[in-house]
Amino acid sequence: MRDYLIKRGASALITLALAIVLNFFLFRIMPGDPTRTVVGDFRVTPEIKQALIHQFGLDQPLWVQFLLYVQNLFVGNLGVSFQYRGTPVASIIFGRRLFNTFILMGSSIGVALIIGIIVGTIAAWKRESRFDIVTVIFSLVTYSMPVFWLGMMIILIFGYYLDAIPIAGTITVGMTYSNVFEYAADYLHHMTGPFVTLTVSFVGFYFLIMRDSILDVFTEDYMLTAKAKGLSNSKILFRHAMRNATLPMVSLIAVEVTYLFGGATMTETVFSWYGIGRLIYEAVVMADYPVLQGIFVVMSILVISANFCADIVYAFLDPRIRY
Amino acid sequence: MRTLRAQATTTVQIKEDRFWVYRRKISDFWRLYKRSRLGKIGLTIVLAFMFIAIAAPWIAPYDPFSFVGDPFLKPSSAHVLGTDQVGRDILSRVIFGTRISLLVGLVASAMTICLGSLIGLVSGYLGGRVDNLLMRITDLFIILPALPLMLIMASILGKGIMNIIIVIAVIGWTATARMVRSQTMSLKERPFTEASRAIGSTDLHTIARHIVPNVFPLVFANGMIAIVDAILSEAGLSFLGFGDPSSPSWGMVLYFADRAGSTVNGYWWYIVPPGICIMLLVMGFAFISYSTDQILNPRLRRR
Repeated sequence: MRDYLIKRGASALITLALAIVLNFFLFRIMPGDPTRTVVGDFRVTPEIKQALIHQFGLDQPLWVQFLLYVQNLFVGNLGVSFQYRGTPVASIIFGRRLFNTFILMGSSIGVALIIGIIVGTIAAWKRESRFDIVTVIFSLVTYSMPVFWLGMMIILIFGYYLDAIPIAGTITVGMTYSNVFEYAADYLHHMTGPFVTLTVSFVGFYFLIMRDSILDVFTEDYMLTAKAKGLSNSKILFRHAMRNATLPMVSLIAVEVTYLFGGATMTETVFSWYGIGRLIYEAVVMADYPVLQGIFVVMSILVISANFCADIVYAFLDPRIRY
Repeated sequence: MRTLRAQATTTVQIKEDRFWVYRRKISDFWRLYKRSRLGKIGLTIVLAFMFIAIAAPWIAPYDPFSFVGDPFLKPSSAHVLGTDQVGRDILSRVIFGTRISLLVGLVASAMTICLGSLIGLVSGYLGGRVDNLLMRITDLFIILPALPLMLIMASILGKGIMNIIIVIAVIGWTATARMVRSQTMSLKERPFTEASRAIGSTDLHTIARHIVPNVFPLVFANGMIAIVDAILSEAGLSFLGFGDPSSPSWGMVLYFADRAGSTVNGYWWYIVPPGICIMLLVMGFAFISYSTDQILNPRLRRR
């Protein structure tokens, strides 16, 4: 187990190092003045510009710049934003935005996962029944929809025609709240649209994987044993099949986190949700390179640690992996 | 002299045999494929869209770029899906959008597959340090958040169809590479590859003759999913404004629909059709991929 941990940890660190290298050079190979992506913007004042040139060694050779970049990264200095006129990138990312994205993504992934696992198990058990066919088709349809289009449709139907959800934002602008519950209610009301969009777009995928995984488990010998022991159907299904089939899901979730960020970016953009995904879009549109670079580093760290955690959890759940 | 001629005839013989083997394999595949209802539906959808793409100039009622009416006309007999913010016919734009969406999907996935297969073949066949390095890079690309990386690359390269294709290929090759690598590694140990090497064939010959033909079926099944990913990625990137306004895809049409405030003004005719088109085309390829996988993937056959 210890060897396994060390091996996985080292691998995660190497991947992280590669990601940082990639992130540094990606923004330096841009055409034009290479320092343009750090300070070269009219929205940054000359004083801040001077400070940054010194901090990041922009007048020095590239390798010195890289070392300074890494050093700054370790103390949490991600440069300053262009569109917010010199506000430190770190303070833009680590604040309300990250919180909003976590709440939105966490809740929709959680709900989608639970629905996917349960419905997937039942569909696999009643293979080729009407329930199975309907759920498979539903999943294929939602899987084939572009996430942003699903969001637009939800705004059109529930926002425009039914007037049931707010069409944009995280809270009502200019509203005063008498207590925290009112605030939470308004927040959740605004979250309904993006939450439903993300959940629907994730659930089909989880469902299909779970169903596939269960069908695989059904061919295993221990399923025959369980049946031969005379266990009830529900016991076979939920004790033996579901447990074993959930295993591959664990590592899959971690890998898929990268795609989920994509879906979140689209959804947050469509619903103007004040989160990291929306920030990426804004940064791209406003050519705010330091913010883009910062988000990319933060996301890489998140995804790589998520994968590392999944590896550990997997090893605990499945002893075969450790050897 | 006689032996030479004898040799020549055997070579021809073998070549002919190989031709028949491939033909039989393809017709076997087709026979199994025809049995799958989903597969037939998928193929029909894709062929229908291909027809629309080719016949676009004859089907579309108007030129997609010219201003043929007042802005924001509602659906009518003259403009079945109304007009957009500058008075262009939406139906014509959706019909012509088929060309761009389909083309980008096919070309980008072809590039994805080629890049992935090449890296997978080299990595799996050579092994050792090269394999280690290439797989590290693959892991990195699998793990990094795809859409943000795409957006960053797209904003570095600039707008345009070609850049979208490049971005999709550079981000998407990893799944193919992994699959081809593991397949190559197992094929490398089989007796026929060993025999090929034992009689002194070059590596290139062994790869081309014995490994590529055996990897191809799985690459093909994988390619369908690559097309699905490419179409959806293109739609997303175009929707976020990275498309080329002079060659509008469905994603681009939706980008303009969003800018026109279609959702909050209730212009359903501007939003629904392009989205349905993307969905149908993606489903078409997904169905083909599903049926192909059922036939070609031995793991699934046993269930």
